[in-house]
Amino acid sequence: MNESASPLQSPARRVAAFSLSRISTIAMSTVTQLVRMKTFYFLLAFALLLFAVGNFNFASSPAQALSTLKKVSFGAMDLFAWLFAIVATALLIPRDIEDRTLYTILSKPVRRIEYLLGKLGGVLIVIAISLAVMFVICSFMIIWQQLGYIAAEYDTRDIRTEQEILASVTLIENAGFRGELIYAAYASFLKAAVVASVTILLSTFASSSLFTIIISILVFLVGHAHTMATNFWLQETDNSLVVQMVLKVVKILIPNFQLFSFSEGIVQGASVASGVLLQMSGITAAYLFVFLLISLISFGDKEF
Amino acid sequence: MLENRMKRPLSQVTKIVFVILALSAFGLLRAPWEDTIRDDLVENHLLLPPPAESAIEQMSQSALMGTLGGLRTLVSTFLVLEGFDHFSLKDWEELRNTYQIVTSLEPRDENHWRDIVWHLGINATANMELDKSLPEFERKRRFQQYALEAIDFAERGIQQVPESAIIRQQLAEVYREKLKDNCKTAEVYGDLIGLPGAPEYVRRFHGYFLARCPGKEQEAYDYLMALFREGPSQHLPTLIKEIQKLEELLEIPSPERIRAVRRQTPAQRRASKNSLPGGIVIP
Repeated sequence: MNESASPLQSPARRVAAFSLSRISTIAMSTVTQLVRMKTFYFLLAFALLLFAVGNFNFASSPAQALSTLKKVSFGAMDLFAWLFAIVATALLIPRDIEDRTLYTILSKPVRRIEYLLGKLGGVLIVIAISLAVMFVICSFMIIWQQLGYIAAEYDTRDIRTEQEILASVTLIENAGFRGELIYAAYASFLKAAVVASVTILLSTFASSSLFTIIISILVFLVGHAHTMATNFWLQETDNSLVVQMVLKVVKILIPNFQLFSFSEGIVQGASVASGVLLQMSGITAAYLFVFLLISLISFGDKEF
Repeated sequence: MLENRMKRPLSQVTKIVFVILALSAFGLLRAPWEDTIRDDLVENHLLLPPPAESAIEQMSQSALMGTLGGLRTLVSTFLVLEGFDHFSLKDWEELRNTYQIVTSLEPRDENHWRDIVWHLGINATANMELDKSLPEFERKRRFQQYALEAIDFAERGIQQVPESAIIRQQLAEVYREKLKDNCKTAEVYGDLIGLPGAPEYVRRFHGYFLARCPGKEQEAYDYLMALFREGPSQHLPTLIKEIQKLEELLEIPSPERIRAVRRQTPAQRRASKNSLPGGIVIP
């Protein structure tokens, strides 16, 4: 006689405490969800923006034109990354509640931390893909413009010496495309990752997406500006003790987003050491880990 | 009963207190680490220092918000466009104010420094030479003012980007074309020698303007002769002419004087490769 029990009688299968496959499933469904929101249409606007800037004729030299193109491209990439991180993350959990997808997911053997990680992972995948595509578009534009300017320099052979032409070409090459620019895109990604982790923490408390978006943008602005504004405020208030304390509290509670703006230096030609990238990656990982754990304080026992 | 109390979810207030405590603990741990990273980034020119207080005060509300919100490069690009508008309208005061902010936002970008030195030192001064709507004395006063402001910008730019060749080139042009100060022009071209990206001609220009600087004739002669002795690549018509002028001025004995050397222009050199006497070109 077959002794195997029927499915109804079988003992409950042990569920792994933490599963990467569950996280990746949630992450991929988040990616699909975001793609369906027509997220990637932004790339078209980005390409048009670069095309317009590339054809502006206000720069006093080819080097300045290339520098402007780089600044606008990477500025737009940075803006897209952090803004998208806030809006997408703030929308996802309330949307899952609204669609009742959250109940289905949490009724399965899915840990809440896995759900949060999956959601964050999905947002970060979309940001990474977008940044990669934007990087390719802007690299193409920069190289195309750069080659055009270099060709124009060589066309002046009849009226200039070879040394003068080479000096101009060197200036153009210095202001043009460098492999290190990829680290500028990476810096934007790291910033977006921290912004997304802050937003996910806020969205576990907030009652509406709008509230989360507004507060997240406020936190981002304060986190970005407080280093910049510290000296200004202290000078204005003659190093007031109250202002000093307020600034300390802000520094401790709010992430220092200005640190992640090192893409600006790379775009302007500064070299980046691998140690810096490692440190920035490390601090980003620390932010993600701590903010996700703190998110669990609210989300862990939240009833929907 | 106690068990039930333990199972009860934490109240919202308790959660917020926990969150603040956790954030504070993390903040205290990360603050020294972040300070070290920040110092490293600033030292390596990866992070820009905060804009000057005067620049913050001059910024419009939207520009300030953009700057504080991490859109510093975008704000400065927008302001450069605005500056171009002021240039088109010959509104030099506004142009200067705009570039005060731009250079404060991106002090490491030599293009901004070069541009404002060019605008004030060359364009604004040229406008003062031509603008008949202003009385003569006012035009002269403003000419001096713009030229001096251009020099001030250039000096601040050189402080920020000490290795910059293009700021010094522009500064030399202001001294050369507008202030007609040969000694200062020679000094700036002298500073340019050896800088990365500096054109080859700055070595000769240093000598040419040194020759026109009162009291520096002997120094200029020695310098230009050293260049001449480097070989045919330096036997340019202007260099030879300047040496000959100095030979006359310094009364150099005839046997020590240089002989005139005919040198072809780049176009002539290229043409001569494929051409026969009479200008017949071999395809």
